[in-house]
Amino acid sequence: MYWGGNPAECHPRHFTKYTLMQKSKFLPRGRKDRTMALVDIRATKSAKAADIFLQVRPGKDFEMITILRAMVKGESIPESQIAETGLSLETLEDLVARMKAAKFGAIFFGMGLSMTRGKHMNSAALLTLAAEMNAFTKFVAMPMRGHGNVTGADVIMRWQTGYPFGISFNRGYPRYNPGEFSTVDVLVRGDCDAAFIIGADPGATMPQPAIDHLAAIPTICLDPHVTHTSKLAKVHITTAPAGIAAPGTGYRMDEIPLPLKPALNSPYPSDEEVVRRINQAIAKMPDWMPEGEPPMVLSQV
Amino acid sequence: MIKESSSPNSGSSGNSGNGTELKIVKNATCTFCGCVCDDIELHADDVRIHKAVKACVLGKAWFLNHTAERKYPDALIDGKEATVDEAIEAAAYHLYKADMPLVYGMSNTTCEAQKECVALADQLGGLLDSHTSL
Repeated sequence: MYWGGNPAECHPRHFTKYTLMQKSKFLPRGRKDRTMALVDIRATKSAKAADIFLQVRPGKDFEMITILRAMVKGESIPESQIAETGLSLETLEDLVARMKAAKFGAIFFGMGLSMTRGKHMNSAALLTLAAEMNAFTKFVAMPMRGHGNVTGADVIMRWQTGYPFGISFNRGYPRYNPGEFSTVDVLVRGDCDAAFIIGADPGATMPQPAIDHLAAIPTICLDPHVTHTSKLAKVHITTAPAGIAAPGTGYRMDEIPLPLKPALNSPYPSDEEVVRRINQAIAKMPDWMPEGEPPMVLSQV
Repeated sequence: MIKESSSPNSGSSGNSGNGTELKIVKNATCTFCGCVCDDIELHADDVRIHKAVKACVLGKAWFLNHTAERKYPDALIDGKEATVDEAIEAAAYHLYKADMPLVYGMSNTTCEAQKECVALADQLGGLLDSHTSL
């Protein structure tokens, strides 16, 4: 099942290499042994690859997931609530029956789900649906990651701090709270007074108030190109492109680490080297917490 | 560390149209999208990649558009060209001086660099976030 994503255009080899075409011990006929459902607000190119396409009304993903969760548990849903999603009872019953009949179900969700009305609540609901499906059959859910190594960022942050993203170290230990510590929110509210941007171009992708804040504070940008962010930044450092001219490790979206095999030698230093040198330069300065003052603990708050 | 040419995976070489030998990197990894396909065969000379066999449309553009040329200045401070050393000092100064610095991005980079970024945010007592929150 793909939900709110368009792999045919955004992840062209996802079908052939991972989800649909591969023949395996338990699915010897490849595509013929699989069923693909696509849920999206419009019929994208990916709809052609799908066995069933469910056109959900824009902004009604959360409602649809909640209805599916109830139907999976065999509860009856009022006609009016089903009508709200733009789908019919028969379509949803068919989907639930197919999901339960599957030997192994996988849901891949894209930004069409996680970035529309409901945002991370949509993702949470879908993950719950996948978890609850395990009462009937094996079921998993996975986000369709856009950029190369976002999965690696999740894994590394989890390993180092215990949390995958949206982390604050301002009490001296990591805390996690998306919405409070997530970048768009921080920038739009104007909470941070310096920014270090690496392997991203928020100057081209973020909402205007966030970009305005980045331009107003000292921003440091590391990128193989001079990007929109570099142009509004105080400091830009050109680095070697990872995987092309810089070696290292990258994570596939199913959390398999893969070695990068650079084919070129870059005249620029790697990200790793530059960040390490910034770290070393900062380490020479006195600790940010005043001397003798212990980190704030809950009893003092 | 940079060159993989000593490994059995990439020792062979092919022929390009203009007569110079192209280095072939087998089973190269594409980091354009989250699929991270690791079966790409790259044909490259010293400056650019000429062929990316098995890569999709997006992957081909990714590999063929990056070169080893010195296209951009090493570093910019306030839009003016600077050396990497100066830029690193300036970056450290601004991040250290800030009360609530933000470390963000980490998508198009290696896990090794990401680990350094976590250390940076930790050392600064700042915020740490990736594309995931988008």
